[in-house]
Amino acid sequence: MLNLNTLFYVFSIFLLVFAYMVIMSQHPVFSLLFLVACFIVSAFLLFILECEFLALLFIIIYVGAIAVLFLFAIMMLESKLQNLSRNSIKYVPISFFFISIFFAPFYLKNRNCFGVITPYADQKLSLYLDLNKYQNWYNTIDLAVDVEVYGQVLYSYFVLQFLLAGLILLLALIGVVCLTSSSFKGLSKEQSDFKQLSRTSVYFLK
Amino acid sequence: MQISLSSLLVLESFSMFSEYFICVTIFYFLVAISLATYSVRGLMVQKAVSQCFGLVLIMSLYLIINDDLISLNFSSFHNSISNDYLGFFSKSLLCFFSAVYFFIISDSLKEQKLTSFEYQLVLLLSILGLLIMCSCDDFITAFLAIELSGLAFYILASYRKTSSYSIEGGIKYFVVGAVSSAFFLLGSSFIYGLTGLICFHDLECLFLCWNIDWDLEYLSYFFLATPESIGVTDIRAMFRIAKRDLFVIAPHSYVTEFALSFIFFSLFIKLAAFPFHLWSLDVYEGSPTSSTFFFATITKLSIFVLLIRLCCGVFDNFLHESIHLHSTWVGISSIFVGSFGGLKQRRLKTLLAYSSVTHMGYLIVVFSLKTEQAIQALLLYLIIYMLSGLSIWAMLLSLRLKKKNKAKYSKEIGDLALLRRANSSMAFAFALTMFSIAGIPPLVGFFAKMSVFFATLDELRYLYTKIVFFSLLFSVVSTFYYIRLIKVLYSENLEVGKLYYPISDSNSTIIISNLIFLLIFLFCNPNLLWIFTQKASFLIFTQKSFLAFAPEGALSLAADLMDIYFLN
Repeated sequence: MLNLNTLFYVFSIFLLVFAYMVIMSQHPVFSLLFLVACFIVSAFLLFILECEFLALLFIIIYVGAIAVLFLFAIMMLESKLQNLSRNSIKYVPISFFFISIFFAPFYLKNRNCFGVITPYADQKLSLYLDLNKYQNWYNTIDLAVDVEVYGQVLYSYFVLQFLLAGLILLLALIGVVCLTSSSFKGLSKEQSDFKQLSRTSVYFLK
Repeated sequence: MQISLSSLLVLESFSMFSEYFICVTIFYFLVAISLATYSVRGLMVQKAVSQCFGLVLIMSLYLIINDDLISLNFSSFHNSISNDYLGFFSKSLLCFFSAVYFFIISDSLKEQKLTSFEYQLVLLLSILGLLIMCSCDDFITAFLAIELSGLAFYILASYRKTSSYSIEGGIKYFVVGAVSSAFFLLGSSFIYGLTGLICFHDLECLFLCWNIDWDLEYLSYFFLATPESIGVTDIRAMFRIAKRDLFVIAPHSYVTEFALSFIFFSLFIKLAAFPFHLWSLDVYEGSPTSSTFFFATITKLSIFVLLIRLCCGVFDNFLHESIHLHSTWVGISSIFVGSFGGLKQRRLKTLLAYSSVTHMGYLIVVFSLKTEQAIQALLLYLIIYMLSGLSIWAMLLSLRLKKKNKAKYSKEIGDLALLRRANSSMAFAFALTMFSIAGIPPLVGFFAKMSVFFATLDELRYLYTKIVFFSLLFSVVSTFYYIRLIKVLYSENLEVGKLYYPISDSNSTIIISNLIFLLIFLFCNPNLLWIFTQKASFLIFTQKSFLAFAPEGALSLAADLMDIYFLN
């Protein structure tokens, strides 16, 4: 049966695989694409946990802005990562060492959170597998989606603050345009299309 | 007084007229002037736009003054804007002074090569932020207003793109401002985490209960009216519950103090008081002169209004001696640093930055006293500081040196040496303003310093007597560099020096002579200043004590407590 719990595990496994691929892929562009996939999958996870607002923020900010910015920065920079060593096997022991250092205190601190969740303490294995298999009865009565609640509060109680944030955005827009645009021909730092294209094509041909 | 719900809803929408007006002006100008300058190449609109914005600010001053609803002292936008007399007073001052500022800079923008109209738009947006900061009543609005004005300051500081000093100043201002707003957010989030409140008014009620002695005698004193008529028994039970809840927070009171010191820290960075003043020297020197003019004179008022709101309103019943002592030391050390740091300066803008650090020191010392007379002295000093700042920077802007080599924007003290020969009335006005800033009697600056020292002496403690003694000594030291400017003006017998262009427009001449006239006139007749500052400072304290002692006040307090503890 495909319930939400199964989906949770599927996406978690995908998240782990993509996170592993971010580290393991040799090319920075591929690793960035896997990072984008990571963000999207974790947004799915947040959707399953019913944090729709946070999930949408993940997609808009991380995928839409930051990852694309990184992608442009990597593609514009002249990449000198050719002679990166390919055998990363020799780093495995030290990586296990660091993982155990970081993970052990976390596990020891939060050990209780994993074990005792329901009174059915004898069903240990199924407990670990079906962590969020529960029915929230309130949701069936009064269902307001996360985003909807945020919108209602934002447009009624915090309308002044919302408008002020919009004004700050407008100011940032004006400021960026007048600080970067330049009417002096000699001083302007313009992007030379030909130079850039030829550089990247040479790089890819190698 | 019974106000029905519908009338309250109507009342809520009748506030912030001036802010609406300025906002609509910004949008209209952004579209209209972009279209106009797009179709006609090389259209120079900076003078017309800045004079127009000056008129807009005068119109918004008119809107503020004719807003009679201020006397109701109500709060709007779900308790995030408070329309009280302090806000009214500071907003009208801000509108007036920034209108004068726009008229002053309108001539000199072309000479400074700041010809794009976005410069004035950014200025107007920052003034909008400062106006909202004057009347904000919760932490989120305060933070957004600080950010709106701060972001505009960074743009204004780095507006001259071809000068590396200007860019450097802008980046420095940006880094320091980002740190300061991070600290503001940290402090306010601590307070939110401890109390669950962000609105200043709710916090005031909470901390008012903190200090009430919870004896039944006190409660009977508290409700002078017949106890049965207002149902004391219920309120007593309610106070008991409230007290129990307060004692949950009470062990964390030092965290609240910690949070408050973070907020003070961030606002002192914005004011450039002593331990945080180093950015101001570079930023003032590097940024274009009209931006420096704006930072030095206009921006300080609303930060002090926010500080007064926080300190004398919200946390008045909570604050202990330690915080006051903290700000007193910040004040006295910034007086020290400002007085001694300016001694070796040769550049005029840095000298004025040090002088501004000294003034902030006096203001913070008098702010830390928190008495009614002290707040009056603070407001008086701020008005006179802005007035003399306007006149001195207006003269610096209208002095245009004849340059032989490449354009040099920084002015040095030696550049003023031939001013007496070139323009004797301007030299006389310069000397008068310097005397006023130094606090020499026949000018209004004397009153400012006198009221500060008297308010400090009123606090009958040995520490404050020492503080007055030392700040008097430091003010004598700082008089040295003001007098040195006058010496350069009047008693240097140079034959060769910098020459000046004549003042191009009669506009700035009229403004400068009016400002100088005000400096003398307000000494002869200081009643005007006295009455308004007295009223503002009186109303800050009486509205609060009304809340504490009058039966109606107690009832409203009880209602607020109901809101806080039973509905949440």
